[in-house]
Amino acid sequence: MLFTLISGILIGIFYGLMGLGLNFIFGVMKIVNLAHGDFVMLGAFGVYLAYSVWNLNPLIALGIELVIFLAIGIPLYYGFVPRLLKSRDPEMLSLILFFGLSQVIESLASFAFGTNPDTVNPTVFGSQPVNIFGQSIQMSWIVAVLISLLAMAFMYGYLYHTKIGIATRAIMGHRTEAMSSGINVHRVSAIAFAIGIALAITAGSMTPFVLGGIYPSMGVDLTTTSFAVIVIGSLGNPLGTILGGLIYGICLMLMQTYLPSWSSLVPYLLLILILLFRPSGLLGRRERNA
Amino acid sequence: MRKRMLANVLIILLLFLLFAVGPSIYQNQSLIFQMMVFMALAQGVNILYGFTGYLPFGYVGFFGIGAYGAAIAVNLLHVPALVAVILGGFSALLAGLVLSPLLRLSGAYFSIGSLAASEILYNVVSNDSLQPITGGPYGVNLAGIFDEQTSYVVMLLLLVLATAFVTYLRSSRFGMSLIAIREDPVSAEMAGIHVVRTRVFVWLATAVLAGLVGATYAWHISVFYPNTVFDLSVSIFAIVFTLFGGGTTVLGPVVGTILLYGLYNAIGISSPQYFQLIYGVLIMALVLFLPNGLMSLLTRRGIYVP
Amino acid sequence: MSREPLLEVTNLVKTFGGFRALDGVTFTLHKGEIMGLVGPNGSGKTTCINVISGLYKPDSGNLRFLGKTIAGQAPHKMARLGINRTFQVPKPFRELTVAENILVVHATNKHTEIGDPLEFVGLKNVAHRKAGSLTSGQQKLLDLARALASGPSLLLIDELAAGLSPSELDDVAEKLLTLATRGISLLVVEHLLGFVNQLTQRVIVMNAGKEIFEGDLASAAKDERVVEVYLGR
Ligand SMILES: Nc1ncnc2c1ncn2[C@@H]1O[C@H](COP(=O)(O)OP(=O)(O)OP(=O)(O)O)[C@@H](O)[C@H]1O
Ligand SMILES: [Mg+2]
Repeated sequence: MLFTLISGILIGIFYGLMGLGLNFIFGVMKIVNLAHGDFVMLGAFGVYLAYSVWNLNPLIALGIELVIFLAIGIPLYYGFVPRLLKSRDPEMLSLILFFGLSQVIESLASFAFGTNPDTVNPTVFGSQPVNIFGQSIQMSWIVAVLISLLAMAFMYGYLYHTKIGIATRAIMGHRTEAMSSGINVHRVSAIAFAIGIALAITAGSMTPFVLGGIYPSMGVDLTTTSFAVIVIGSLGNPLGTILGGLIYGICLMLMQTYLPSWSSLVPYLLLILILLFRPSGLLGRRERNA
Repeated sequence: MRKRMLANVLIILLLFLLFAVGPSIYQNQSLIFQMMVFMALAQGVNILYGFTGYLPFGYVGFFGIGAYGAAIAVNLLHVPALVAVILGGFSALLAGLVLSPLLRLSGAYFSIGSLAASEILYNVVSNDSLQPITGGPYGVNLAGIFDEQTSYVVMLLLLVLATAFVTYLRSSRFGMSLIAIREDPVSAEMAGIHVVRTRVFVWLATAVLAGLVGATYAWHISVFYPNTVFDLSVSIFAIVFTLFGGGTTVLGPVVGTILLYGLYNAIGISSPQYFQLIYGVLIMALVLFLPNGLMSLLTRRGIYVP
Repeated sequence: MSREPLLEVTNLVKTFGGFRALDGVTFTLHKGEIMGLVGPNGSGKTTCINVISGLYKPDSGNLRFLGKTIAGQAPHKMARLGINRTFQVPKPFRELTVAENILVVHATNKHTEIGDPLEFVGLKNVAHRKAGSLTSGQQKLLDLARALASGPSLLLIDELAAGLSPSELDDVAEKLLTLATRGISLLVVEHLLGFVNQLTQRVIVMNAGKEIFEGDLASAAKDERVVEVYLGR
């Protein structure tokens, strides 16, 4: 029981990181990046490639990946999002557009890596398990959790202690008002978009150690899981995501321990229950409609 | 007005003829059958998304439930095929009723919620512990009622029915009030429209449609697995076909399905990654350059499209 | 003019998570009467209309319409009973044409006959345009026409004047007066006191969810609390 709880919390923190990028992009530009899980997948394969070909430490691989994907994120934003936001129904069309992108990424990844699962040696961070409250936990999990906490701390610093981060929060609150107060909405959003993708990549780099085998078509499941996490927390609220991750992680571990054959239902059940009974998420507020 | 009525009747007649004589011109009947399946589902998506604004990522859930409802009716209740099809539609109706609270959600919340719902249905149906009832992950065999011809005819009738319903929506005050609800539910209430009841009605109608289509599909192919009839790409195809042609019209989903499903088979199912790539690019181009579908090329010029 | 009460509002309370947007509002509106509802921003005027039109359920208090209790009914029921409204920010069905915007309205019990509502508000010439392509002034008129199409006996008007030109204002004021002579009662929420003055002398002044004054416009201007609320900001 204690082990279940502890591993639930640890994996929950990791899931919080996984939802963070998706939620951040939704919060800032109200579009749903359905290719989120595929970026997670790319992050995972980046680490796999670096390790199996160049024998590179996953953390160094992550550093390189971040540079690459931050650089990809900006043009990706300018290529798609401004056009999307001008359309009649940006939220809906974003679902479809990014679904298309996810298909493209998945197919390219299948060409590159084949469709069978690949794994990265989980002992790269040391094979000695760590002891937490008398329970032994793999070193790689600890690294994943630390990376997640680091990324969350970075997000907090960015949003609350940098000028551009504060502008980002202004846009999250009131996009049109922010625009009229002289904030360069597209520049700020482009950076937010790139950060959102970089967060997905970060989560991805730890996926081989937390979830095991990686394969090109894992993106769809990861996107739904991330969605479950952020809906539990509340869409558009970065802090809620962490809470969502924790609840999700603990529920998942409990199910896997006590009802393993039904544990694949967890993300979907949680998602539906929260949507129906607390549609604005656990930390959400209701919106006005007239 | 009379001209439009005539156009509607003509479309339905042509559609019927096309698929009625199709198999005698083109040998690959199963391809034509699948095309009808997708076209009917696309019309379902059209009714739901085009007229009420709900984009159902999990639409396949009703299709799968219909297939399984029919299969269980045949294998456990031993009913004749046609009754099984109706029971398939009925199962989807029940699922739709249970899931109707989803309509309280809007936008992306609804889409993802419906997706989650269909994943739940899939996970339940395919669960090992339900094997005595659903066959679990090992699938279903309906060889006992196998009848390619009759199931083809039933499918054709369903397609015609679905299309006729869309023509009704396209030209009636009821359809107009659906669009009013889509555009602004609060104003629609003030216009005296019973918003909740209307939405639920449309939701259930599209659920039954998908259920009947799923049941007929099961009857036609007779051997299938849970991941065949709950395959997420079924929803996605139906959505993309609709959007490609253009929602809120009768012709959009028809044209979209014929062109894109034709393309799908031209590229060939043999190299799925290659196909996935082209498909993904196509979807993106569609959203960026033709977000209102092919038919908007005409409507933009003031031409009425049925 | 008959003095039969049409709408009786008693002690209406509406809270949003602890915040009392309406804090015990009470008034009576008679048949064919025009009443002004004024007050500073955020004083609860729109909320009052939202509750009467059924958009929000009141926390407590009573609403009687033609002697029958109606509090908490769904908006489409209110519309069919004969209560309709316009919106502060007009909400047309953008993808439908102007004519279709009127066509979808259920007019099961026409309480009042004003003829073609589009003709009445002067939008006949744009009947075939999409509602989304109208100017915001035209959209406000369309809102009014749509409310009229349901044949209401009570019309709740939320800041119709904002954004209209002076000449349009006079025109609209005249139309509202015409409606009153045909027996429609009007509750007119407004910031512009001059506009209210054209319509009626009877006003209610609200502040922070409470009525602080009820009476005629001229004495409202002399009332201490009203002056304080308006100048104290
Ligand atoms: N749905 C809601 N949720 C939360 N608070 C609300 C809601 N609707 C109104 N309020 C609050 O209730 C108060 C009264 O709002 P209301 O819109 O009724 O004011 P108003 O008098 O119409 O103001 P204005 O002149 O600006 O239109 C405001 O403080 C507003 O923020
Ligand atoms: Mg107001």
